[in-house]
Amino acid sequence: MPRLTVLATHLPAWGTDRRRTPGSDEDALTLAVAAGRAALEPGTAPVTTVLLVTRDVPALLGGVEPVLLAALGLDEGARCAVVLGGAPAALDAVAEAAPGTLVIAVDVEPAAAAAAAVLGADSRAGADVAPLRRAERSLPTRVRDAQGGVHDYDDPRLVRVRGTGAGIARLQLQDKPLAVAGVSAKDAAAMVQGTAAALPSDGAAAALFALADVVARSGTGAVVAVEQGTATAVDLGAGAVRLVVHAPAALPVPTTRLAAGGDIKISIPAYERAFDSKLGLQAGACSACGTLALPPRYRCLECGCEDPHGLVPLPRRAAVYTAVTVHVPVPGLRSPYDLVIVELGDTGVRLLTTVTDRPAGEIGIGDSGTLVLRRLAVRAGIPDYGYAFQPDQVQADATHEGAA
Amino acid sequence: MRRVAVVGAGMTPFAEHFHLGIKDLVPMAVSEAVAHVDKGFDRSDIQAAWFGELVATDGQASGILADTCGLLDIPVTRVENACATGNDAVRNAFFAVSSGHVDVALVVGADKVRETSSRATFWEWMAMTRDQAWDYPLGLVAPANFALHAARYLHESGATKEHMAMVAIKNHKNAVPNPKAQLRFEITMEQALNAPMVVSPFGLYDCTPQSDGAAALVLVAEHLADRYTDKPVWVRGVGLGLDRVMHQHKTDLTTFPATVKAAKAAYAMAGIGPGDIDVAEVHDCFSAVELISYEDLGFVPRFGAAKAVEAGETTITGRIPVNPSGGLKAKGHPPGATGVAQCVEIFEQLRGEASNQVSDPRIGLAHNIGGPTAVSAITVLGTERG
Repeated sequence: MPRLTVLATHLPAWGTDRRRTPGSDEDALTLAVAAGRAALEPGTAPVTTVLLVTRDVPALLGGVEPVLLAALGLDEGARCAVVLGGAPAALDAVAEAAPGTLVIAVDVEPAAAAAAAVLGADSRAGADVAPLRRAERSLPTRVRDAQGGVHDYDDPRLVRVRGTGAGIARLQLQDKPLAVAGVSAKDAAAMVQGTAAALPSDGAAAALFALADVVARSGTGAVVAVEQGTATAVDLGAGAVRLVVHAPAALPVPTTRLAAGGDIKISIPAYERAFDSKLGLQAGACSACGTLALPPRYRCLECGCEDPHGLVPLPRRAAVYTAVTVHVPVPGLRSPYDLVIVELGDTGVRLLTTVTDRPAGEIGIGDSGTLVLRRLAVRAGIPDYGYAFQPDQVQADATHEGAA
Repeated sequence: MRRVAVVGAGMTPFAEHFHLGIKDLVPMAVSEAVAHVDKGFDRSDIQAAWFGELVATDGQASGILADTCGLLDIPVTRVENACATGNDAVRNAFFAVSSGHVDVALVVGADKVRETSSRATFWEWMAMTRDQAWDYPLGLVAPANFALHAARYLHESGATKEHMAMVAIKNHKNAVPNPKAQLRFEITMEQALNAPMVVSPFGLYDCTPQSDGAAALVLVAEHLADRYTDKPVWVRGVGLGLDRVMHQHKTDLTTFPATVKAAKAAYAMAGIGPGDIDVAEVHDCFSAVELISYEDLGFVPRFGAAKAVEAGETTITGRIPVNPSGGLKAKGHPPGATGVAQCVEIFEQLRGEASNQVSDPRIGLAHNIGGPTAVSAITVLGTERG
């Protein structure tokens, strides 16, 4: 039986303490990568399967999985699947996963949150998560149309009585659960044993946040997830689970302007050529002298060698060499925005990029930070991902780790 | 190699010529250059033409020059080398005359920037001139290219926004008497420092306007100079320099190596040094670019630009007047025309005919940098053959 060894939770920097919102450079994929990387570092057991559970998938037909694997630094031979679902689907994915699986659950709307769980094979590590019972009924009070538009029936009492309430009743649990995901904090409080933490969302990610809450309280027992008429329960056993919590202080969403009338064109051949280096943050390494180049190039910057180069991962720690803020409207982009050239570790490699998780205009030369995956632009409808500079202020006091 | 003389020069006003197309501006500049030849000029003497245009408008560039100027029976070559297009067009025509293949050559530079909305222009040009995967999606607009340099330059050199403003104030003042300039008004330090930000550290008055315009020169071989004028201006040196294309690969953003290389080549050909320059038209697309260029051209020591501009060394009456025309900042910047128009200004300065005349110059320099900072072209002109 697989064992839950790591749980990582991630909240975007924007919004309020009660409700986080994704930045204009974030989407389900970047949130998934943030949570996934937090769970995978440092050097957890090898992951061969990634399951992304969400109801918010970027409109990139056939393109999500390779981006996710590349940004997580996983072998392209790893299996990656997207599961459309809410909190019950995420909880089921954890309980039913094979060893070597990374389950990532992401919510974007109406509140943004992401979390990831690593399931290992070693019976001496982690904790059991055993499926208990599942109950499914159709109560389509909230649906999405083909364009992603949300249609709400908007009857909270109906959902409470015939949906979540009836669903949990059908689970026929012996005792009250330790946590319930998929309902409001107020409703959850009435359903659980003891005091459960308020969860940041009510979708897929909420299920993993509920598990993390129970782990943090060293609890063992039933954890429940519900969505409309569907409910599922798992039994969390005893054992040490590494917990990574990434919750930066919430910042109000800055006022920006989206200039009208613009579309950023995309060259798919250029996108495809750059993919491995850009999504994996890897430099070309000269086969003769080892000089690194980002982007990789045919002819070495230093020695002129034109033999095929290999790709090597770059450090993600970075310091600002120069920084500017663009105030003028630029079609297709939100102004103002920062542009920086940063130096990566002590490699001598520089990257031109944007700044994320801080309002524009706060960055100065010499500031240090970390490179994180962001959606740098949407070009002709296609999300264009790459690495943005996250200043250290965002990280400070935002992350803590523990085991329970 | 033969010596080459400039015997005629002309240009349209630089402005937002909404009512004029490229097919109007090009023949207007050529007619003025031809009319400017002291002893008269028959355009059928022209044996070949070089046309600097950054962005083709209204049709195929060299065909437009031949067609609109009545030059259908000579070869015309388009030159495109980013914002260094103008001085590179001069350079190519110079080589043709110097080598003996052509006796009389026409150089034209023109661009029609204001054919699209001012916001779209930024973006349409970026799409062609930025790395598609790595730079373009970030919104690396033209002012940002140079602002990345300027921010680092201010950080290392100790120069401030006030020094950038001093450049803008000087160039605005210089443009006032120039009937061809686009922004013929003075600005104050307070206005410059309080202007809306474009791309920090550049406020509105640190930036060139968007301009339309055309400029033209007539180049002839030494043995023909007397036939056209008693006051020829000699092409003493030309130079072109390049640098890495992407900012990520430039090791030091406080200098433009392309300019250093172009200047070295031009000075060597002219047999002079930077101390011999009496007047210069320097590529001030953004105020800080003029400061950095003082150093790259050798006018002042490294990081000495702030002190020089504080001391007024580059004003009309200073040690080395820079941008007496108003520069790109206030005269305007239709990219293909810019370098050619700089040479028009230096031609007039060296003949004592400029609208904002400096005192008795003998040698003048015209400088472009562009692409965004990957290419520089320089022309050195003089009153003596050399």
